[in-house]
Amino acid sequence: MSREPSEHAVGTLADLPPGSSRVVRAGGRELGLFNIRGKVHAIPNLCPHQRGPLCTGGVSGTIDYGPHTGWQLAWIWEDEVVTCPWHSLEFHIPTGRCVAFEDIRLRTYEVRVSDSGELTVVI
Amino acid sequence: MAPAESLDAGLPTRETLESLYVVDADVHVHEDPAELAEYAEPPWDVALREIAKVEERYLDLPAISPRAEFRIPWPGGSNRPQTVTSPAAMRRELDQLHVDVAVLFPDHLLSLAMVRDPGFAVGLARAYNDWLADRWLRHEPTLLGSVVIPPQNPAAGAAEIRKHADNPSYVCAYLPASGLKTLYGHEQYDPVFDAAQETGLPVAIHSVEAVYPVFPFQLEQFRTALAVHSLAHPLAMVANLVSMLETGVPVRFPDLGVAFMEAGTGWVPWIANRLDKEYVERRREVPLLQERPSTYMRRFFYGTQPIEEPQTRTDIVKLFELFDGENTAMFASDWPHHDFDHTQFVFGLPFSPAVRRKIMGLNAARFFDLDVPA
Repeated sequence: MSREPSEHAVGTLADLPPGSSRVVRAGGRELGLFNIRGKVHAIPNLCPHQRGPLCTGGVSGTIDYGPHTGWQLAWIWEDEVVTCPWHSLEFHIPTGRCVAFEDIRLRTYEVRVSDSGELTVVI
Repeated sequence: MAPAESLDAGLPTRETLESLYVVDADVHVHEDPAELAEYAEPPWDVALREIAKVEERYLDLPAISPRAEFRIPWPGGSNRPQTVTSPAAMRRELDQLHVDVAVLFPDHLLSLAMVRDPGFAVGLARAYNDWLADRWLRHEPTLLGSVVIPPQNPAAGAAEIRKHADNPSYVCAYLPASGLKTLYGHEQYDPVFDAAQETGLPVAIHSVEAVYPVFPFQLEQFRTALAVHSLAHPLAMVANLVSMLETGVPVRFPDLGVAFMEAGTGWVPWIANRLDKEYVERRREVPLLQERPSTYMRRFFYGTQPIEEPQTRTDIVKLFELFDGENTAMFASDWPHHDFDHTQFVFGLPFSPAVRRKIMGLNAARFFDLDVPA
């Protein structure tokens, strides 16, 4: 039987302007909050490689090649990729997808914004 | 059925990283050129003050470790500071890694073998060794030093060993391998090995990524750091190990400890088997060797970092079995560099508790002659 999801307060939108990120504790977990062009995303602050503090890493785009780039070398996902500060493993924040290893996918958490700008993460 | 408490009697409590004796055989201090200038002999102090005016980049400094950087600078990448500039900061950071004792190697002087002016190379090594003793080792007993040897002048290197060997905080001599013009098997280094053997200091060979016109660093046809970094470190170790076996270093210096650092260990069984095969046919060329090359290789030590990460985790155990890693591998983190291994990660690999204790600390204690706490 699955547990009922619960909402946890994680600050305000005013403290997380577009392009910024922050690590918060919620529901016994450490999560990274990222404001990407006004939408707030949350992923675990834990790199599955050597358990590094993933969400304290820098955010950028990345270079890639494949069906999603029309088989052209391309700079994609601007402001949507976090790079683990320990060993530079990259993750696409909105989907939790590890860029190098497609089979590795982080859990993503819904972040709700109230009318007054309060942020809650659903766990 | 026996009562529960008797079932547990005699069994060790579950070992944690916190309770384990951990020696980190390779961490890096940042040698600020302005600080080195304070310890350098004239005229090198003047040059070091001039170098200090240039903004530093990661392992990239004029005259000491200049890097022809062709890596394409895409935005992003690791934002972690990768230098440690004081013993207090190092101790704090190593506490987080649960490291009890660490052996310090330099940052920029990883490229010392490529310094072209031999006088400057000697000046740098001397300044560094005095600086490390004064600014680091005497302040923190759990941080131990490696005496930097300038390969450009083995006599001066031997003198550095003799000068510092009485300092109990110096536990080995560091032989730079990157861009080394003459491999360490050559008899020109005999004074270094003589001094090391006589004083009881083992030697540790340590490389760094480089593209340079000596074997095995002529890597300019590769496009990526992935290629260069994959090849440079292990091939540098293979080249020096083969050179040292070919001239019989472990026979000529039977009490000399030798370690090979920062190349992982996957190369060890490969070259051991290759050399053993050749030895069958070509023993006459290496008459000093009384036994298979692999026999001598089992007397050497090997830093674990960057430890292989096979997809099947138990393969790491098989790999270590192939070169007696149980008794020859020394945990190394390479903190704070880009490809450091976290203690927790290596601790968590599926070695038996007894093997893990050796790899995480006891083998290094044997190699560096450290007292293991009871």
